[in-house]
Amino acid sequence: MKAMIPRLTSAVLAAGAVVGTAATANADILFWSTQAAPLEETQAMREQVLSGFNETVDYQATDDRGPWLTRIEAELEAGSGTIGLLGALHGEFVSLSDNLIDMSDIDLGDVTVNPTFQELGKLGTDEQKYLPWMQATYIMAANREALDYLPEGADVNALTYDELIEWARVMAEETGSPKFGFPAGPSGLKHRFFQGYLYPSYTDSAVTKFRSPEAEEAWNKFKELWEYTNPASTGYGFMQEQLLTGDVWVAWDHTARLADAFNQRPDDFVAFPAPAGPTGRGFMPVIAGFAIPETAPDVEAAKELAAYMLRPETQIATLEATNFFPVVEVDLPDDMPDSVRLSGTAIAAMSGADDANPSLLPVGLGENNGKFNQVFNDTFERIVLAGQDVRTVLDEQADVLRDIMEESGASCWAPDEPSEGACPVE
Amino acid sequence: MTAVTATEAARPAADIRSRGRLVFVTVIVILCVWVLVPIYLLAINAFSSPDQVNAFPKSFVPGFETDNINFFLGFAGVGKALFNSILVAGITMVLSILLGAPAGYALSRFDFHGKDTFRVLVLMTRAFPLPLLALPLAVMFIRTGLDDTAFGLALVHTTLALPFAVLITFSLFSGIPVELEEAAWTLGCTRFQAFYKVVLPLILPGIAASAVFAFVISWNEVFAAAVLTIENRTLTAFLLQSLDVSPLHLKFAGGAVLVAPALIFIFVVRRYLFAMWGIANR
Repeated sequence: MKAMIPRLTSAVLAAGAVVGTAATANADILFWSTQAAPLEETQAMREQVLSGFNETVDYQATDDRGPWLTRIEAELEAGSGTIGLLGALHGEFVSLSDNLIDMSDIDLGDVTVNPTFQELGKLGTDEQKYLPWMQATYIMAANREALDYLPEGADVNALTYDELIEWARVMAEETGSPKFGFPAGPSGLKHRFFQGYLYPSYTDSAVTKFRSPEAEEAWNKFKELWEYTNPASTGYGFMQEQLLTGDVWVAWDHTARLADAFNQRPDDFVAFPAPAGPTGRGFMPVIAGFAIPETAPDVEAAKELAAYMLRPETQIATLEATNFFPVVEVDLPDDMPDSVRLSGTAIAAMSGADDANPSLLPVGLGENNGKFNQVFNDTFERIVLAGQDVRTVLDEQADVLRDIMEESGASCWAPDEPSEGACPVE
Repeated sequence: MTAVTATEAARPAADIRSRGRLVFVTVIVILCVWVLVPIYLLAINAFSSPDQVNAFPKSFVPGFETDNINFFLGFAGVGKALFNSILVAGITMVLSILLGAPAGYALSRFDFHGKDTFRVLVLMTRAFPLPLLALPLAVMFIRTGLDDTAFGLALVHTTLALPFAVLITFSLFSGIPVELEEAAWTLGCTRFQAFYKVVLPLILPGIAASAVFAFVISWNEVFAAAVLTIENRTLTAFLLQSLDVSPLHLKFAGGAVLVAPALIFIFVVRRYLFAMWGIANR
């Protein structure tokens, strides 16, 4: 026992001695991002996309918005920072808007940026608060085995919600277990399905007609679909996993969250557009952008990096690394990965469909973005999981939604008609 | 006759004993399986190819593919992050013992004003969630230059580990009769010598236990680490957040990478822990 004391003491001293070796300053540009967080994508961003820039870029990605936002808020408050360039989704920039540098003077050369997205990047001000970086959307994916169970007369590239429910029912009954999967887990993107797919397809709205009879019908349809949905869906986050394991044959998810399935077994899976409802084929494009915080250590270098990220060849490299599509005009080469080929075709079919009904991500909600999403998640949990009365739940949640809209003062965004003042909830 | 009754009487007793033994062994086996099976599954999946990980039924033999593990070892910054994690956990361990043990000693040996309040206050440090504290802490750290240093992060982790260090050492010191110390004083020891030569060897296993606690708390902490370090990220901050959204085969490999160092550490200090349970020097 006695021998332990000196040994433990020396261990303590040794550990103490290392304390001295603290941080050394680093002149790299720190790219602080919420995108391309899965390790393989981070790796690809570093090795295939950012390695071509003439300065070293330290690409740090996290899927957890908490630390991401806390860190940049702390730097802004302290008035000095290490972050050079921020990468995030449209909605995540909103609360930082006042502290972002105007990017309109960046020389982009002969690159043509998508004008709609560029306008979104102004966040309702006169300044270019962020520049669009890449875009994605949500589509459907299916195992080829599932196609055998398609209802008669149904075209997988022009499905309706009724046909999807019927398809899920037949699969569940004939294979003995539910084969439709939905990302309803904690990290799943279910709220985007309700905001950008279910609601627009049934009500041509996401906010105004939140508690309308059409919305009631939409939720009842979804409840019906849920009966033939794999009950483990409440734990699903990235549908590519369940598609690969075979737990699920048909699923809806973000293109980047399906890519692994398409790339690993391209011959086993098909990609196709989201289903249509009475008011069209609702779908929602996702836009990520980058911005420069006013505390950036080297603003000029950050601007150069931003311009580099928008070059066509960088955009193609980004597409290969992250499965997010370019936001500038670019000709895609033929030798793209399978996921790009498959989801690219599905996206084209979806946005080019006669009944296409695109919606925007929520605009102008500011800090209420999370609460807005929560309204849809709570509604889902109460109606579908807890089996509460649809009418009652919609009436109650509509009050919550109205408070959020009034507090933030956000006017309506597509597919809702533009409003004067806060978007009303009828 | 008597012999017969004796054996008959003995049989039920032996039966009960062997049944008791059976229950005992069963419980031991269940407990071992409880702990070992997840670690085993983690290990075999870490060493399997993506196809094998996704396949069903699962194989109980590893595929001996090192691609996934190699991915991590090749992932820029893993080595440095591992070093930072060990460094931060080490400093946390040292600081929480250096601060916690004297506090525990004082609480058990001396009576002073506000002792009870102090005990509650020590626990209070755990009452505030880190996401709430992280913003002001980060602002302060950036202003003072503690930002992005192992020492700064270790200070935060020490705050988290300190209540455990204080309470564990407090109960240990309370378990050692003050008479032992008094005897040492009468034999010529100073107060410090009595502590160093008599009390310290007795509570060393307990110190080791609270050191393990401090180490594990620091090792597992993500939020503060993710906010307060940039260049000098710890392994958990570096991997855990991204692991959550990575494909299954990388989750397993990353899990193994995160678990292995902690397991090795606990394996190294196990003798001190066993000593506390009275099976010393194994």
